[in-house]
Amino acid sequence: VCASDEDALTLAWAACDRVLDAAGLSPDDIDGLWWGTSRPPFAEGPSWTHLAAVLRLGHGTDGALVSGSTHAGIEALRAAADAVAAGRVQRALVVTSDSLLPGTGTGLETASGAAAGAVLLTADGPASLGHTVTHSVPVLDRYRGDREETTREAYDGRLFREEVYLPLLTDLGRAAGASDDARWSLPDPDGRLGPTLGRKLAVGTLSSAESRAELGDTGAAAALVGIAAALGTAGPAVVMAYGAGRATAINVDVTGPVPGAERVAADLSQGREASYAEVLRARRQLTAAGESVEMAVPPGSAMFIRGNVETLGLLGARCVECGTVNTPPSIHPTCIHCGHDKFDIVRLARRGTVQTFVINHTMPAPFEAPLPLVVVDLDDGACIQLQGATTGENLAIGGPVELILRRYTVERGVPIYGWKVRELATSEGTAS
Amino acid sequence: MSWNKVAVVGAGLIKMGELFDQSYEQMAKGAFDSVVASVDKGFDPALIDAAFVATQRGTLWGQEGIGGNTVPTAIGLSGIACTRIENACPTGSDAFRVGCMAVASGVHDVVLVIGVEKMRDKSSEEGLLARAAAGHPVYTRGESAPVLFAPFATRHMHEFGTTHEMLASVAVKNHHNGKLDPYAHFQNEITIEDVLKSAPVCHPLNLLDCCPQTDGAAAIIITSAERASEFTDKPVFVAGFGVATDTPYLHEKTTYVGLPATTLASERAYKMADVAPDQIDMAEVHDCFTITEILDIEDLGFVEKGKGGIASLEGETALDGRIPINTSGGLLAKGHPIGATGIAQLTECWWQLRGDAAERQVEMRNGFALQHNVGGRGSGVSVVNILTTNA
Repeated sequence: VCASDEDALTLAWAACDRVLDAAGLSPDDIDGLWWGTSRPPFAEGPSWTHLAAVLRLGHGTDGALVSGSTHAGIEALRAAADAVAAGRVQRALVVTSDSLLPGTGTGLETASGAAAGAVLLTADGPASLGHTVTHSVPVLDRYRGDREETTREAYDGRLFREEVYLPLLTDLGRAAGASDDARWSLPDPDGRLGPTLGRKLAVGTLSSAESRAELGDTGAAAALVGIAAALGTAGPAVVMAYGAGRATAINVDVTGPVPGAERVAADLSQGREASYAEVLRARRQLTAAGESVEMAVPPGSAMFIRGNVETLGLLGARCVECGTVNTPPSIHPTCIHCGHDKFDIVRLARRGTVQTFVINHTMPAPFEAPLPLVVVDLDDGACIQLQGATTGENLAIGGPVELILRRYTVERGVPIYGWKVRELATSEGTAS
Repeated sequence: MSWNKVAVVGAGLIKMGELFDQSYEQMAKGAFDSVVASVDKGFDPALIDAAFVATQRGTLWGQEGIGGNTVPTAIGLSGIACTRIENACPTGSDAFRVGCMAVASGVHDVVLVIGVEKMRDKSSEEGLLARAAAGHPVYTRGESAPVLFAPFATRHMHEFGTTHEMLASVAVKNHHNGKLDPYAHFQNEITIEDVLKSAPVCHPLNLLDCCPQTDGAAAIIITSAERASEFTDKPVFVAGFGVATDTPYLHEKTTYVGLPATTLASERAYKMADVAPDQIDMAEVHDCFTITEILDIEDLGFVEKGKGGIASLEGETALDGRIPINTSGGLLAKGHPIGATGIAQLTECWWQLRGDAAERQVEMRNGFALQHNVGGRGSGVSVVNILTTNA
């Protein structure tokens, strides 16, 4: 599970951020964003635009949000590949993420994990997508209705195994026509189906074994997360995904190490075990009693029209006259340092050092203590105050920190996102 | 600067505390009765030709609609000119300043300044603590009141070696003083260990580093110096005042070991009064948290920057110290009913200047007392008033 202030959007941001870092690219280099998830944070709302804004992508960016089942991730990959192949997009970010909210008491509680995997697609690179096959049958398995918050199992496990999963995916795997030494990323809803399918297909290397063992079934993210291990070394590979009666297998020809792939194994080992109570809290299925204090600015306020881009994109206003960065721009028509009123909008640095901090222990619901609040001197000279993403025990004046995307709250049903401060000394932890 | 000299001829307050049995209107009436009774030669309320009401948040007791008309009706003076003033934690002290300007300008002759605040009608969670959800949805989210001052404690400790014991000594002193003040919310002594062992509220501040939430009311009557003798033979005069502002967000500060608004406001007040910090005999300063008093005594020029902690621990600010601070018990022990706070502080200054402070009386060598508040978002508003017995 991820932390209680993370979800499919914050996970997707984190994966994209690492891909851009590995590729040595800036947001300006990206002209397409495809996102596959069964759990967009706004079931009907600005999920894709929020992700584009936190990634600081241009407002003309191409792409799509693909959803509906755990098959959404590979659908996003195919759509992006088509756009690149057609020459419509030069550099496409493809991100797949999921953070399931399972029904309590269902097998999904322990079988499901939260994760995100992302790749960058261009016309040429150290790995290429090849022969693709897809099969579809109208069957009901893992299910969430339009008015349901949690996902449930609407099928008998053996029925699914014998009549849907094994026949469908065995046929598909054989139709993929992969060479004997291919590394496979296979979907594995329960922890046993993957290895069983692997044996039927005589798979030599199951590249998704480690991520499945560490994270569980990560839904729409499972295919890309599972193939990452194979992208680190040259050779053939197959990435396969399943969801809601649809299955797709794509051959991948890896000609050289894909930058960033080597990091995935290290990321997978960052997690720790969590108690059931911790898991329930992380999934926000166990919350403090009592009335919650409403945010003074309702989510429908015009303030979010004025302020969303600068808050999500972490923007500042650099004074043309004296260079002081004023944050956020919309509330600073005049420079706090010199009083001039002409600015350049700049992307703030995401690293800095602690100027000062507190750890707040006394707040009404929905706040959760301990809550650090940190004033950070950013590396570009700007200064900003944000919540801490940790409990704060490693905060120290002068200590290095980074800013990461988190969900600040869910206000009147609407998730509110912003940046939080994490000590660089502590482990990077979104896992297991 | 040309202005008519202003005299304080009456000051009074009600016993501070959790006044669950009193309405906002009843507290106002209590403070008004107290101030009328305090006038040496008696006082006819009909003489009041304008009133300024200091209430910071009607919302804390469920009524947005505190205007200029609530208090006049409560005190039997419906019809008089009355204006509500709001300026964050210095609301009371700024209402006094505005009242003084009304008299100094010659527009009004006899002015009532009255501060009333209901802090405890709502639960803490729905009252002041709810401020954690106010302001910017991201950049200030979680910023309850201690967050405005605790970052300065973290930084003061880091830069000057100030210790939690030094912070705690402020609370110990103010509780001691409060026990000598019949109007104080708390009437008990505490120890440094009590402070260090109290529950964490907002690291590095513990519960006893924080002032309580207190209901209260206080009032003052001012008039021109020319008319003072109609009311008293022991008048206290307004020597000077200053108000100043600073940036409203914590991330915009130029320093995290001081509050520049306090320094600016005090410089203006000292200049107007033609007095230096070392001529001040005692001061009532804004000690909403222990660290705040340490910042205040530095920013007001009573001790060198960085030495506020050790000065407090070594007793320089005690009743018998070099510069007695918060002889009334301060916000930490007397309480902080926001709109009433500044006026209650001025009442203590008035008593000290007139020699009426009983067991708390300190030596008034030069005849100057200073009153100070600082607060608001980013602690960016400060007011300083200086009273004197010097004609």
